[in-house]
Amino acid sequence: MNHRLSILLAALGGIGWVTPVLAHGAHIEYQPTESIQIQARYDSGEPMKEAQVIVYAPDNPSEPWTQGTTDDQGRFVFAPDATQPGNWEVAVRQAGHGDIVAIPVGAEASTVAENDPGASGAEAAPTEEVQPVAAPQTAQISPVQQGITIGAVIWGFVGTALFFARGKR
Amino acid sequence: MPKMTSRFILATLCGLVAPVVLQACSGDQPAAEGPATETETTEMASTDDSATGKGTLEFRANGEDFVRQGFTTKDGWDISFDTVFVSLAEVTAYQTDPPFDAEAGTKVEAKKQVSVGEPVVVDLAEGDANADPILVSEVEAPAGRYNALSWQMVPATSGPAEGYSILMQGTATKDGETLPFTLGISEALTFTCGDFVGDTRKGILDAGAMADIESTFHFDHLFGDASVPMEDDINTGALGFDPLAALAQDGAVSVDSASLKITLSEEDYATFINILPSLGHVGEGHCEETNLIT
Repeated sequence: MNHRLSILLAALGGIGWVTPVLAHGAHIEYQPTESIQIQARYDSGEPMKEAQVIVYAPDNPSEPWTQGTTDDQGRFVFAPDATQPGNWEVAVRQAGHGDIVAIPVGAEASTVAENDPGASGAEAAPTEEVQPVAAPQTAQISPVQQGITIGAVIWGFVGTALFFARGKR
Repeated sequence: MPKMTSRFILATLCGLVAPVVLQACSGDQPAAEGPATETETTEMASTDDSATGKGTLEFRANGEDFVRQGFTTKDGWDISFDTVFVSLAEVTAYQTDPPFDAEAGTKVEAKKQVSVGEPVVVDLAEGDANADPILVSEVEAPAGRYNALSWQMVPATSGPAEGYSILMQGTATKDGETLPFTLGISEALTFTCGDFVGDTRKGILDAGAMADIESTFHFDHLFGDASVPMEDDINTGALGFDPLAALAQDGAVSVDSASLKITLSEEDYATFINILPSLGHVGEGHCEETNLIT
């Protein structure tokens, strides 16, 4: 729906609709992106609050791509760079406990991957759940289809305008 | 003119219908979360193939500061180690794809692997309080990403740790009482682990360069750690040192797996055995233990 709306607005802009420009106006743009949300917990189910998070991109696993901390529910959200397909790795560490998870991006869709904590072990093994969030539902059409669509819409407006401007017979 | 107008109306209708048709033709396009699987396969293969050179991979074993600097157990014993021998065999590093998850119950799917040829006994307490992790061996290895590691702990066949997969010797002190102790563990263990989790990344080997990969041992799981809350799992699941101190004879503790089975309470012995599979780590990363013989 948003996609169609954007095409319509583009077409309207093309026939002379003008957006006023303010010299000191604030301006916010947004773009929907695909994000990944992880949730880190201890075996007990307790969330890893304010734990260190390090994200490594597939193209450079040696250096952090981004870093941050989990929220009070043990959650952390990041938007991987779609131009780097492969396994994005996320390490979560807190007070000597840690875990790392590899999230495939740009290939098979990642739904939910949850570590199954082992039965043995005295340590609270942290686990991470992974969920894609805010995945945009933008249907992809080819540039040719886009061009024809925009042209057809413009032509439709021109035709409509001429229809009403034809005058009485 | 009427003819002309009709054509425009017809064209207008076509113009309005065309986008709908085109949209329908595009079908159910995949959302951004569902790209083609083949892309991933190709990318992974090309990444793997790019690692054609060789480098030097160091296998290291780390008892952490608990072993190098000593620590206080959950029940208040100050522990210092003189030696902590571990007997390692079949130490193998893997380049895995997909990455191995030790807690998922899956198998290592290795693209490449390198191993240490012979069993090795190393002393994790060697060196000073700030010593580097102990070098087990170094091998020439294909460049690439070593993101999994496995090793066995088998009773040593010779040397000071003969008969034991782990032999620790040191001193425990509490309330003015000092107990020299020797604890021998004869159980065979097999650990299979995923990627290292720690302050630095490990196992990323470039051609012509050197990298290390680490087997890490968490002895605080056995004794507990007074520096963390008593309700922490690390303490609630630990044996502590009190049950061992109770076995002292002539001012010293000298026990091993066989004697503990007889002398510890049933509950404490079960705790002791259940701790062994959690000793092996890769940094903070967990391992799967698959060969505990009780």
